[in-house]
Amino acid sequence: MAFVQNFPFFSIILSLFSGPLSSILGGKAAKRLNIAVISMIGIMSCAVLSFTISSGESYVYMMGHFPAPWGNEIRVGVLEASMAVFFCVIMLLCMLGGERERLAEIEPEKQNLYYIMVNLLLSSLLALIYTNDLFTAYVFVEINTISACGLIMIKQNGRNIEAATRYMIMSLLGSGLLLLGICFLYDLTGHLLMSNIKEQVQLLNESGDYHIPLLVSLSLMSVGLAIKSALYPFHAWLPDAYGYSTLSSAAILSSLVSKGYIFLLVKIFYRVVGFDIVRDSKVINVLFVFGVAGMIMGSVSAIKENNIRRMIAYSSVAQIGYIYMGFGLGTTAGVIASIYHIVSHAATKSLLFVAASGITEASGDSTDFFDLTGAGYRNKLAGVAFTVGSLSMVGFPMFAGFISKILFAQAAVESLHKVLPTLIALALSTILNAVYFMKTVIRIYTPEKKSVAAQKGHTMIRIMDNPVKSAALVCFILLNLILGLCSEPIVRLFQNGLNMFT
Amino acid sequence: MDANLLVIVVLLPILAGVLIPLLPFRSRNQMLVFIETAVLLNSVLVFVLLISQPQESFILFRFTGDLTLSFHLDGLGTVFAGIVSVLWPLATLYAFEYMKHENHEKFFFMFYTVTYGVTLGIALAEDIMTMYCFYEMLSMVTLPLILHTLSREAVLASRTYLYYSLGGAAFAFIGMIFILTYGTTSNFMPGGVMDMAKIGDRTNMLLFVYLLCFCGFSVKAAMFPFSSWLPQAGVAPTPVTALLHAVAVVKAGAFTTMRVTYYSFGADFLRGTWAQTILMVLVIFTIVYGCSRALKETHIKRRLAWSTVSNLSYILFGVVLMTPLGLTGALCHMVFHAVMKISSFFCAGAVIYKTGREYIHQLNGFGRKMPKVFIVFTISGLALMGVPGLCGFISKWQLAKAAVETHSLLAYIGVAALLASALLTAIYMLTIVVRAFFPGRSFDYGTISDVEDPNWMMILPLVLFVVAMFVFGLHPGPVVHALEAVAAGVM
Amino acid sequence: MSSWILLPVFLPMAAGICLLASSFRAHLGGSGDATGDRSRLHSFTAAVLVISAVLALGAAWSGEKSVTLFYLMENIPVYFKIDALGRLFVTFVSIVWVAAGVYSFVYMQHEGEEKRFFGFYLVVYGVLVGLVFSGNLVTMYLFYELMTLTSVPLVLHNGSRESIMAALKYLFYSMCGAYLGLFGIFFLYQYCDTITFTAGGSLNMELARGNQGILLIAVFAMLIGFGAKAGMFPLHAWLPAAHPVAPSPASAVLSGVIVKGGVLAIVRVVYYMVGADFLRGTWVQTVWMMLSLLTVFMGSLLAFREPVFKKRLAYSTVSQISYVLFGLSVLTPTGMTGALMHTVFHSFIKSALFLTAGIFIFECGKTRVEELSGIGKRMPKTLWCYTFVSLALIGIPPTSGFVSKWYLAQGALESDTGVFGWLGPVVLLVSALLTAGYLLPVTMKGFFPGSNVKVTEEKEEQDAAKVREPALLMLVPLAVLAALAVLLGVFPNPLADYLRDLAAALM
Repeated sequence: MAFVQNFPFFSIILSLFSGPLSSILGGKAAKRLNIAVISMIGIMSCAVLSFTISSGESYVYMMGHFPAPWGNEIRVGVLEASMAVFFCVIMLLCMLGGERERLAEIEPEKQNLYYIMVNLLLSSLLALIYTNDLFTAYVFVEINTISACGLIMIKQNGRNIEAATRYMIMSLLGSGLLLLGICFLYDLTGHLLMSNIKEQVQLLNESGDYHIPLLVSLSLMSVGLAIKSALYPFHAWLPDAYGYSTLSSAAILSSLVSKGYIFLLVKIFYRVVGFDIVRDSKVINVLFVFGVAGMIMGSVSAIKENNIRRMIAYSSVAQIGYIYMGFGLGTTAGVIASIYHIVSHAATKSLLFVAASGITEASGDSTDFFDLTGAGYRNKLAGVAFTVGSLSMVGFPMFAGFISKILFAQAAVESLHKVLPTLIALALSTILNAVYFMKTVIRIYTPEKKSVAAQKGHTMIRIMDNPVKSAALVCFILLNLILGLCSEPIVRLFQNGLNMFT
Repeated sequence: MDANLLVIVVLLPILAGVLIPLLPFRSRNQMLVFIETAVLLNSVLVFVLLISQPQESFILFRFTGDLTLSFHLDGLGTVFAGIVSVLWPLATLYAFEYMKHENHEKFFFMFYTVTYGVTLGIALAEDIMTMYCFYEMLSMVTLPLILHTLSREAVLASRTYLYYSLGGAAFAFIGMIFILTYGTTSNFMPGGVMDMAKIGDRTNMLLFVYLLCFCGFSVKAAMFPFSSWLPQAGVAPTPVTALLHAVAVVKAGAFTTMRVTYYSFGADFLRGTWAQTILMVLVIFTIVYGCSRALKETHIKRRLAWSTVSNLSYILFGVVLMTPLGLTGALCHMVFHAVMKISSFFCAGAVIYKTGREYIHQLNGFGRKMPKVFIVFTISGLALMGVPGLCGFISKWQLAKAAVETHSLLAYIGVAALLASALLTAIYMLTIVVRAFFPGRSFDYGTISDVEDPNWMMILPLVLFVVAMFVFGLHPGPVVHALEAVAAGVM
Repeated sequence: MSSWILLPVFLPMAAGICLLASSFRAHLGGSGDATGDRSRLHSFTAAVLVISAVLALGAAWSGEKSVTLFYLMENIPVYFKIDALGRLFVTFVSIVWVAAGVYSFVYMQHEGEEKRFFGFYLVVYGVLVGLVFSGNLVTMYLFYELMTLTSVPLVLHNGSRESIMAALKYLFYSMCGAYLGLFGIFFLYQYCDTITFTAGGSLNMELARGNQGILLIAVFAMLIGFGAKAGMFPLHAWLPAAHPVAPSPASAVLSGVIVKGGVLAIVRVVYYMVGADFLRGTWVQTVWMMLSLLTVFMGSLLAFREPVFKKRLAYSTVSQISYVLFGLSVLTPTGMTGALMHTVFHSFIKSALFLTAGIFIFECGKTRVEELSGIGKRMPKTLWCYTFVSLALIGIPPTSGFVSKWYLAQGALESDTGVFGWLGPVVLLVSALLTAGYLLPVTMKGFFPGSNVKVTEEKEEQDAAKVREPALLMLVPLAVLAALAVLLGVFPNPLADYLRDLAAALM
């Protein structure tokens, strides 16, 4: 056993324990620790990734060398490792990008609390990615929920508390359903370890016994995770939670937290139930319909929105819709497209949140759409970054969104009956995306009259005023371009990873 | 070397454009010299390219698998690249004079020059992916040009433009995906690339997709019901309206429809299908609709823009006839309309530049004060009407000939629509001419004593266009032959 | 080398363009009136006009010639050919044009902008000769369009609001007609062996088989289209609008010559491209006859009711040209002979009538019919000329109108067109009566104002009593045209023989 194979376990543990450690540190030290932890985990995940690529297969890591069913396992393949790398990168950039806001919006004595939450969140995300055990997954889902709730609440005003409460209720409902599903499955199969469950489910499927309980369990888990990841129409908690929380919370929540659940769903599909069975059940058709509806309705809500943060939040609803639509196609190509979209959307959405904060910062901290006039001139880098993000969302060639759009469309063509609805939904949603994103882009590049500018408290923001954030923005832009231009190896990576799942 | 040239002509203007705001020019003139040199140099390179006709292609970049950004020159591309590269230096020259009275020139010229490269990118694209990418890029780089004045009107216009273009591209995207899936290759091949074995019994779906794809691309060519962005975009400075909204952008729309029709889906596959019928109806309707709207319009540039809408549908009409002759007619009109419409727009621009008057009822008696401009305007108006001896007649003749040859009722109605639109063209162009030259006995020329012809930078392109209109009108043989050869190679 | 036959086409055009340019230059120079030295202008115009007319007649009467100028497109040359029909047309066009030109030297003095007028006058002459000499459909179309465009400035010459509106109306009706014609040309190009005019038509029956429906529609469109210029219902409305506002010599040539351009085009299409046989017995012929008869009757009736003198003459033109069209529509040699004969006669007659109207306007400023009573006392010679040509138009033997109408009626009776065989002559007769009714009152009131005329002013009474004929340059052209109108009726045989041969060759 190579030493590298321990890294996944180390990274979970590292982030888990750095949380409590932060509680005894001051705000600044906690921040440094947090950055260091994220970077270290990123580097370790890279090592794991390269190891799995070179070995060409996944491996199972038994904690404490207890064999199943007593021990707890984690399982590492190319897909898991690349997700871990990617999540670390995004999280790091989000933390860097939102630094100023955190200092401004969070009370000084609570600064370190924030880092505790972030560290816990990271550990839970990593656990969701790596774990091979359904119950462990459930435990970390809960940890994830609690820490996410903390991230929303940390900026203490009425709205945030309301949003956090809402988030909590919806999330717990989702976890409850997930737990029910897991219980059903445990009842049916007698296992909690994914690979064991799968064997049993295959047998059940062949014999035809317990067909309905199996279906119920699958739907419960799907719906539970769908609620948690804000699939339309379970998205009501999302705009407030993303729209009013502090910047790095919003960015992390939208790009990572919901994606963690979705990744878990992929694992359930492939590693617990088996994708053939999922495809034959009608559950994915429901997901498909909800996904398509989300793509359209999310954008429609975003068009109606006048608050830029909430607009971006609503756009997430639409993008989550894309991902579920990809699952709903019922083909491996569709799932690949969805996974790619997880990545590209995470990169783009966090870019948009950070850029939007740069824009609002230059407009007297107003998030109102009409106050943003001419902001692209006041904060040039943020303007450019927002434009890049918007273009990526619209699916403009060369940016990340375009590749996922192509992958979705190509996957759709392979499926027989869903091709036209999918393609037309894609086209319509592109147009709707264009409507609200490009409207904003044009707005921020329409100069404001000088008199109004002074009155509204507009300020010029240069690149060097906030070097960390600027650097984060530049990295985001580069990341987007990489995803848009060099997608081929990444897609192949995901394909390999998905093959290792089965 | 020749194959490298393919990519050089695309990238050179883009690079030059990006450099414009970065280079420290000491004076306006220095900047103008730089721009004109770059544009001229590029045009010369394009000519070299068109003459040497390299057979090999150049792969610039790979997205995934066989999705590449690659360039290749063929007959159709030659035509479009030729039009663009001839007109661009002239339009740039005109813009130098015109833009004197507008602000932030640097950014204007930056995007203006970049657009040159992007347009050539569309012309030289080897496969549907490349074309799609440049098509999208074209929407983006021309957006700031419409937005240029930053007035409320401009903002609204640019928004509309963007929604229409991106929406169109989204539907074109569907077509692209189908071509990638059901085609034998993503490259453009004369006669189409559809793999009939793969399609099987899904012909109707493919036709539907073709319809979507055609409509998507024809948004740039302003086909009804996607035409209203074009007149709105008239708020842009005139060099933009003239070159982009009469030639580069809108012709790019027509060009892309030709590509998908003849080079991807294949005319043989489409001829006689219901998709063709629907498109014909739309196109014929647009021909008449554009003209009628032009008639109602009192703003001179918007009137010309509606006229463009109608004329572009002449081209599309040729395209949807799905015969070599139809394509010849379409290409003819693509070339000739470029010359006619750009010159009438330049005339309108000269009026706006010199006097700031934009409405037709303000033009009384201008014929005597701006004789050169209005003589050119008259000639271009006559050419648009299709008076024999000028180039408009030739293309109309080719289109009608092709339509008559197809023996279908709808095509006959199309011919009637062409002529109805010619009549409407006569009305909306000649009322301006008559107003300008014969303002009436009691007209007091003292009220427009400040009006005069612009200087040589504006007149020179106009004169060249007039010469071209006559040459193409009286001796169209070589051009038409060349276009026929291109069209014949497609089937 | 017979390319010199193009000289009468291009010489007047070039000369006209020179005049226009110099007029334009004078305006740019800022001087108000650009007429300059009037006598030089006149002698220049006269010289060009006479030289070109001589050249044109010389070219026409020195045998068959053809010239290909260049190829517009493959298979489509700009091609000129002189044939019997062209010879006929160029002759009367030149006579009328020179006569009206001479007349306008005096007349245009009170209209101003003479240089511009004569410039366009010369250009239009060149274009007309080109139209007449055209040897194929596309060349003809080219000159047809040019004719419309260059004659518009003649109509709007005086620059008043209504004349501009009338000119635009003229332009759009003509354009509409031209495009309907072009619609047909597209189809004929496809279905004919050649677009060169061939006596008897060159329709390719092989190709046409099965496509008769669309071909008939195309031909019908051409009839309506070119009929617009000839003032045929339903596109006749421009004529009564345009004639009254144009200067009188302009209305004279408009009515005497330019509307004949439409007739020429129809003859070319029906007899030289499609062939009479193709149309005989089809719905196109029936509708054509109906429309032309309707126009004959309607025109006369409207003229009868019209108080403005020039407008009355314009309606008269509407009616008379449809005589010609009716003659063509019966598709018999006799009918065609009559039609072409009427074309020639009407051209002289109607020009003479408009010149008379011009004299009345120029000398006394009278435009309405009721103002003209007693005018014979003042200008007896003018009114005599008017009387003779009126009689000719009505068709009183032995004047020219009688001969042509005789042929027309005979052609109609000969043809086997059923009810139209007798209905046609009846309508022609009724219309002739109406013609008498709207033309002769002017003569009668002119010579015999009667005692019930209100004598409003002493001075005017005295003026009216004095004999004061117009200038010789105005009177002579009028007299020449009147004489031709009468004499051709007395000695119709050479013309009739010529036309009979022409018609026989076509059917």
